[in-house]
Amino acid sequence: MTDFFANFLNPEKRLFIGYLISAAFIALIWLRIAQKKPLTEIVSGFFSTNVWFSKSALADYKLMVLNQFFIKLLAPILIGQLALTIFIFENMHLLFSRPSASIPVWMVMLIFTLVLFILDDFSRYLLHRLMHRIPLLWRFHKAHHSATNLTPLTVLRTHPIEAVLFSLRAIIVHSLCLGVCFFFFAESVSLIEIFGSSMFVVIFHSLGSNLRHSHVNLSYWSWLEKILVSPAQHQLHHSINPKHYDCNFGAVLAIWDSIGGSCIVSEKNQDIKFGLKDQSDNAHKLKNLIIGS
Amino acid sequence: MFNKRLTAKAVPLTVVLGSAILISSSAFARSNLYADFPITLKDYSGSATTSVSYKGQMARHALESSLKKLISKGDMSAMQSYYSGDDANRAIIAPATKGDFVIKQSTIGELSNKNLSGKTYKGLIPGWPGNMTGPEVAAFMFEKAANVDGGYDAAHAMDYTQLVSKFLMGAVTYNQAVDNYLDEKLEADNKPNNKPYKDGAAYTGKEHVWDEAFGYFGAPAHTLTISAQDVYNIAKQKDIAAADYNYDGKVDLSNEMAFGHAYYASSYDKGGKTTYLHDIVGAYMDGRDLITSVNGRALSDSERDELKGYAQTIKTNWEKVIAESVFKYAGSTYKDMMKIEAIIESGGDVSKEWRTYSKHWGELKGFALALQVAGKDMGETSVKLNRLIGFSPLLLGNTQVTGIDSNGEYVQSDAETWGGYMVHMLKVQNLMVDEFGVVARSNDMTAGLSELVQSLGAKSSAEND
Repeated sequence: MTDFFANFLNPEKRLFIGYLISAAFIALIWLRIAQKKPLTEIVSGFFSTNVWFSKSALADYKLMVLNQFFIKLLAPILIGQLALTIFIFENMHLLFSRPSASIPVWMVMLIFTLVLFILDDFSRYLLHRLMHRIPLLWRFHKAHHSATNLTPLTVLRTHPIEAVLFSLRAIIVHSLCLGVCFFFFAESVSLIEIFGSSMFVVIFHSLGSNLRHSHVNLSYWSWLEKILVSPAQHQLHHSINPKHYDCNFGAVLAIWDSIGGSCIVSEKNQDIKFGLKDQSDNAHKLKNLIIGS
Repeated sequence: MFNKRLTAKAVPLTVVLGSAILISSSAFARSNLYADFPITLKDYSGSATTSVSYKGQMARHALESSLKKLISKGDMSAMQSYYSGDDANRAIIAPATKGDFVIKQSTIGELSNKNLSGKTYKGLIPGWPGNMTGPEVAAFMFEKAANVDGGYDAAHAMDYTQLVSKFLMGAVTYNQAVDNYLDEKLEADNKPNNKPYKDGAAYTGKEHVWDEAFGYFGAPAHTLTISAQDVYNIAKQKDIAAADYNYDGKVDLSNEMAFGHAYYASSYDKGGKTTYLHDIVGAYMDGRDLITSVNGRALSDSERDELKGYAQTIKTNWEKVIAESVFKYAGSTYKDMMKIEAIIESGGDVSKEWRTYSKHWGELKGFALALQVAGKDMGETSVKLNRLIGFSPLLLGNTQVTGIDSNGEYVQSDAETWGGYMVHMLKVQNLMVDEFGVVARSNDMTAGLSELVQSLGAKSSAEND
């Protein structure tokens, strides 16, 4: 259970209590000032039992709990991370000469933090795109897309196999970054951190990343939505409407979608229906989420 | 008597503390001085007052240290004299008096008139080209050293001072201790404890076997009374107070000096992560206490088993000390290669760094050879180690010595890339960790990386996008 609560207490996690509060605050401002909704409607929307106790949300919770146990099985994969990092570090010797001149630590930190962020974000985009485009992978990923209500907890509505794939992705990206950066910068490598997490991760989550999985359609200017994915854009990604299929795969940066031709900017006051076409309520049953219907 | 410190300093204290010490010490307490063990041999009628004797081993340490100095002078006859000669008047060139660090003996004969050749491991030395025995490798290295300036062959990056000194530390002292005295000489019918080691000796068979093994390690007799840092300072001739246990103002090479592997053990232990020196000397002390306690009768099978247990502690830790040295100098060699590569890329002169690279590789190779002369089959570990290091450092132009021709000249062939050989050094470090469990890990080239993976590596998560 400690792992379960760590989701809410660890600033590396999107569901960290601080990020949930900041998201609620941003939502409040957006709905009150931009959309001029009455305060009572906003507050009752936040706590609507129709959302939090919907079949869709209950399915989120079941998968959350199941994944807590499943994640434990990933421990051996994480141990392999050091071996992979050393393998990459060693192979760098065959491609480049290892510099001995040192550059300032602050610059190394900036480079490492930036490279890790960009590579991490790109690999998320790529794997996410593959989860949609490859039929076998879609069978796992559709467990996430069968959500008909979006709440911040929907971020953990993940098929266990997809959790494995995303963990493997993280290991490869971290190993690559650490192996390559250690080769060039040795012990100077470190992360610019806020509350013990990457600066970029904290900024992204503090600025309302939790609203991606919500009914708060916070959008950005069109030009900005081609660079950064807005919550409203991610909601389009969850849309039941075929014209929105396979769009906005990005996590933080929309640049990858812009390059890949999958970027769709949000519409003003869009009202999106979430889920899969023709799905029944049975889609929210744990059995169907895991082995398909 | 060695233990003058007790009489000189502690007499007033004994009045106060004497009874407390008597009460607190049990019959099984470990001695803390490897000296003054009584004569237990039945029917001994000579004039000796103690059964401890290992001056011959200390003479060999002095011969090795002196030989190291001679190699850089390139005098073949001097090298041979110290390696295989029998002149009792050979001067102890090292360690010699340095400031207030006064050395008591000045000739080998004052310790014991010995040589090294008769005690060099005669098995195959697999990490050296030419299918040679230990004495043949030594002779080959002397000849090569005599033909180049200062015992240093820049063209092949061979530093014979380091190669010979580290190789002989293995092939003489380590091999004699672990492959002879702590091995077959612990058997019941080999040098039994109820007979003198040799006719007229003041010590039993097993007492002397154990003492000789202790002598080869090179630790001061009072090691258990001082710290690893003290022993390190003694070897570096920096601390007369730590060395001069009997307060005669001189350092007695027969029992107060630190040599060879004991010095390297102290160098790792002073970092605080390991206790090789005191574990090894402690096991020697326990073994000697056990032998003394049976008072001149033959050891029973269970007593010999206990003794073999102490011997195993010594062997395991001693092997680790050598593996730590291989680890350390693989790291030094790697660093030197980084520097050389950077200088070459900027068009500079690498001769100074090349000298250092050769020196560190010589230490690496010497210790790697030493590791393999314990008289046991190291199997695949040996093969890996010798392939990774090769017969020479990687030379400019990415060639390496791959053999010796019929005239005794090195043969060079294309080898690894520069980066590829640096990876070999990393793999040597990994091998020492995996096979020997080294802990001190000086010059660990991937330590920072392990820490980074721990702190910044990926964590498992079921988060979707």
